[in-house]
Amino acid sequence: MKMPESGSLASEGAKVVLATSCDENHPPENIIDGRSETFWVSTGLFPQEFIISFPSPKTISTLHLDCYNVKRFLIERSTDTDPVDFKPLQDEKDLPVTDNQLMKEEVRVSNVQANHLRVSILSGHDHFVSIHRLHING
Amino acid sequence: MTVGVEMCTKNINIPDSRDTVEMFIFDSAGKELFADVVQKYWDDPSLVMVVFDVTNEMSFKACDKWLGRVMSKNPHISCPGVLVGNKTDLEGRRVISEQTARQFAEANSLEYFECSASKMKNVEQPFYFLANAYHKLYKEKLEVMKSLA
Ligand SMILES: Nc1nc2c(ncn2[C@@H]2O[C@H](COP(=O)(O)OP(=O)(O)O)[C@@H](O)[C@H]2O)c(=O)[nH]1
Ligand SMILES: [Mg+2]
Repeated sequence: MKMPESGSLASEGAKVVLATSCDENHPPENIIDGRSETFWVSTGLFPQEFIISFPSPKTISTLHLDCYNVKRFLIERSTDTDPVDFKPLQDEKDLPVTDNQLMKEEVRVSNVQANHLRVSILSGHDHFVSIHRLHING
Repeated sequence: MTVGVEMCTKNINIPDSRDTVEMFIFDSAGKELFADVVQKYWDDPSLVMVVFDVTNEMSFKACDKWLGRVMSKNPHISCPGVLVGNKTDLEGRRVISEQTARQFAEANSLEYFECSASKMKNVEQPFYFLANAYHKLYKEKLEVMKSLA
């Protein structure tokens, strides 16, 4: 595996601690390596989810999610030391279809803190969806 | 007779790959009495298998209705599907010909199979077909995803 991009969540010590699908060629670490070319893929059925844990409390003002074929999704945060007690960052949201193009979604929040983030993909525009990059601006 | 929905799993290894398709099967009763109940389990179907009894015309006639019900669950995503004529061991009592069933299957973009569950004949084939079709879809989508950034 290539080194994560500098400034990516992985380079800051974040880890994907849970993912509901695992194709060894497209592991969940690809979400936080800062690159849009690498991705995590769901291997079938919904819902799907992944949890990212930060080494220290992370301030979030804008969250960028590059994905493909995600329809309904939900992002939640936890301020507990363990990845429990998740509270929504925003309401469930629907993304449009983007044919042969990455969907670049931006979620703005008012400087909240999180120790863990959980992204749930509740439905897709296809059987399989991919998450290419998650980036956070503090 | 199946009452409501029975849930089971089946793993199928895909030839020439290290991949396995793990099926979560919702074996749903065909009795109209259970129609509302069984459809509660059908969110976001991935694959479809419609089974009828080749000795029972009513059973064959009902396939159209059941197929429509599954496909309406997610009209924007197409699902690989199969039609299976069961009870081929009861040769003398057969009322639905292979040709009739095959025509219906083709008209609905389904692959057609015949089997005898009681004689354990040809039962695995439709499952292999579906698993391989799903795996093929997955591989195709991966190529699209790889081309995106
Ligand atoms: N002769 C014969 N009978 C069968 C076959 N498959 C099922 N049956 C009979 O058909 C009846 C209903 O079978 P079942 O699997 O419970 O049907 P379901 O309601 O569709 O799940 C039972 O009496 C079975 O023994 C078959 O391949 N040949
Ligand atoms: Mg049954």
